Amino acid sequence: MNRASTAIDNLGRSVLRNVEEMGRILLLFISVLSWMIRPPLKLRLIFKQMEFVGVKSIFVVVLTGIFTGMVMALQGYHGFRMFSAESLVGSTVALGMTRELGPVLTSLMVTARAGSAMAAELGTMRVTEQIDALSVMAANPVKHLIVPRVIAGVLMVPVLTIVADFVGILGGYFVGVPVLGINSGIFVKNITRYVDLDDIYNGLIKAAIFGLILSLIGCYKGFNTSGGAEGVGKATTEAVVLASISILISDYFLTAIMF
Amino acid sequence: MFSISSEAKVGLFVLVGLIILGYMSFRVGEYGFGLKKGYLVSAVFDNVAGLEKDASVQIAGVEVGRVEDIRLEDGKALVTMRIIPDVKLARDVTALIKTHGILGEKYVEIVPGSEWETYLEEGERITSVERQADIDRLLAQIGAIADDVKVVTTSLSNVLGGEEGEESLKSIVRNMRDMAESMNRIVEQNDEKFSTMLTSLRNASVQMEKTFSSLNEITAGINKGEGTIGRLVKDESTIDKLNKTLASLQQITDKINEGRGTFGKLIHDEETADNLNETLSGINRYVTKAEQFRTFLSYRGEYLFDTSDAKSYLELKIQPKEDKFYILGIVADPRGRRTVKDTTTGGVTTRTEEWERDKVLFNVEIAKRWKDVVLRGGLLESTGGVGIDYFAFNDRLQFTFEAFDFDTDRDPHLKAYAEYRLFKHLYLSAGWDDFLSDEGNESPFVGISVRFEDEDLKYLLTSAPIPRD
Repeated sequence: MNRASTAIDNLGRSVLRNVEEMGRILLLFISVLSWMIRPPLKLRLIFKQMEFVGVKSIFVVVLTGIFTGMVMALQGYHGFRMFSAESLVGSTVALGMTRELGPVLTSLMVTARAGSAMAAELGTMRVTEQIDALSVMAANPVKHLIVPRVIAGVLMVPVLTIVADFVGILGGYFVGVPVLGINSGIFVKNITRYVDLDDIYNGLIKAAIFGLILSLIGCYKGFNTSGGAEGVGKATTEAVVLASISILISDYFLTAIMF
Repeated sequence: MFSISSEAKVGLFVLVGLIILGYMSFRVGEYGFGLKKGYLVSAVFDNVAGLEKDASVQIAGVEVGRVEDIRLEDGKALVTMRIIPDVKLARDVTALIKTHGILGEKYVEIVPGSEWETYLEEGERITSVERQADIDRLLAQIGAIADDVKVVTTSLSNVLGGEEGEESLKSIVRNMRDMAESMNRIVEQNDEKFSTMLTSLRNASVQMEKTFSSLNEITAGINKGEGTIGRLVKDESTIDKLNKTLASLQQITDKINEGRGTFGKLIHDEETADNLNETLSGINRYVTKAEQFRTFLSYRGEYLFDTSDAKSYLELKIQPKEDKFYILGIVADPRGRRTVKDTTTGGVTTRTEEWERDKVLFNVEIAKRWKDVVLRGGLLESTGGVGIDYFAFNDRLQFTFEAFDFDTDRDPHLKAYAEYRLFKHLYLSAGWDDFLSDEGNESPFVGISVRFEDEDLKYLLTSAPIPRD
């Protein structure tokens, strides 16, 4: 009896905590928006973050993209061979990359690389009281620390997605044409035939939204760290888990709305 | 060590991203602006199931265009195709819908024609269309053929199969044998009779020979001019008379041909033909106009609750065209007609209002119909006004709003009601009369009306000069 009531108690507590957390993230988003439109913009800080989020993620994103495209071509080939429709492998890879896998895998990789780093960085600053020091110096921590990261996330993830789309299709081509022996002309022709401009652009809109989600959650978790080194580690883990889940869930709804 | 600033790195990265995006958009959107230059031709197919917009149009397997649009036209599919400008289509090309493989997508194949003098121009239509041999149709045809064959074999087996069939076949053979035997018997038994028959036939031919020789003699006599017939044939004067008759006949026909004389003029004068044509078309016009012309008579009685009185309408609706009509009507309103008189005596103007109770009011309106809406205007209850009718449920239900008797010193007479066709000629209505009235004339009402088309009246009206609008 007592145990049951404790369980219900805990359940209610965790629901409350989660709802509260969601509200706080939203409030943080609003304050980021309000600070974003207030000049002066710290361009140097923004570019630094863009370099960190975008340029330094190229390698991992290219690797992810190229192997995803390759494996899709390989799997698709076995499926399509049953219907003698091997020529559709190219368009399957291209559609899959541009609409779904490009944005989602890129943002997951960026979450793992940059989102975790944001949480760890801000968390360390919080537990070593550097953020408090910023406030004391009348420098708003949201403006100086969070706004550049969010801007970098929103702008860089779509660019990374373009790269991932392209190398993914290239990977599919390398598996499909030389390895599996699909006619190269038909492979390319079917891509241009079945992929629309809208497929690419909607994928990029998705990527921008994922970039916002991952940078906002990473910053939020880092910004609200407490409890020393252990707290920093916890914040980093939570940031990656929450951001990944949010990306995957929102992906479903974005797809339902867009396509 | 030389180091690149983070701005430069980011800029370079974004540039690369944009170049890739531009390249992909260009490749994907290739046909978007590449083909817009082509010209449009169309073809009508019975069935285009499976053919999609943007499907390929090919000649001998080479893509020469795309399907621009597929629409329904008179129960058939009108397919519009955009053909690239450097491909010219002969006027007698054939269009057919084909399938890539068995499960593949559909495309339009154009079989080149042989007439190379003129080409199809923008917007023209390919007249020759072949039905494609798709799997569905093939299977359906094979099924139909199998059904036919089955029917034949079934009836054959019904006739021949089984003991009954065998028995009847046997009896047929037996009957034939019997017949041959009896014929043989007949010939044997009547051998003698046949020989006498042949003898009498020979005698008859001898008699006929004699008859022919006497006929010969008679014709020889006629030839020599003997007897009445002979004289008639041989007499020269008979032939002269015949000649003269023929000559005068010739003269008459010549005159007619040249257009001389009354009859000739009638036949040869162009004006006559024109007049006749005109008369005929005039009659035609008149008849069609008379046929279009419809007249309706209606009576409507309305019971006004608040004044406990009834209002009656007698209306004639003249409809020269489907969407245009005139209404002439008489209204008996128990409240009568209001007349206002301004009398000025010694600089003071007094206004007296009078209601003439026995006065009859008139409706004279012109109306025009657009789809379900009729706009009317003219005299309503002897004052200027307008009305709007809205029809619903195939004209069964009618909503009407009328506004008339506009006067600066009081509110106009507004009336709104709905009318429902209960039976063919019987209508029920309910509404609110003069609902803005500031003189207590305002009243809800129910009404009943009878309306029918009057054919006799129509012919009465059309036999008089047709009123022109």
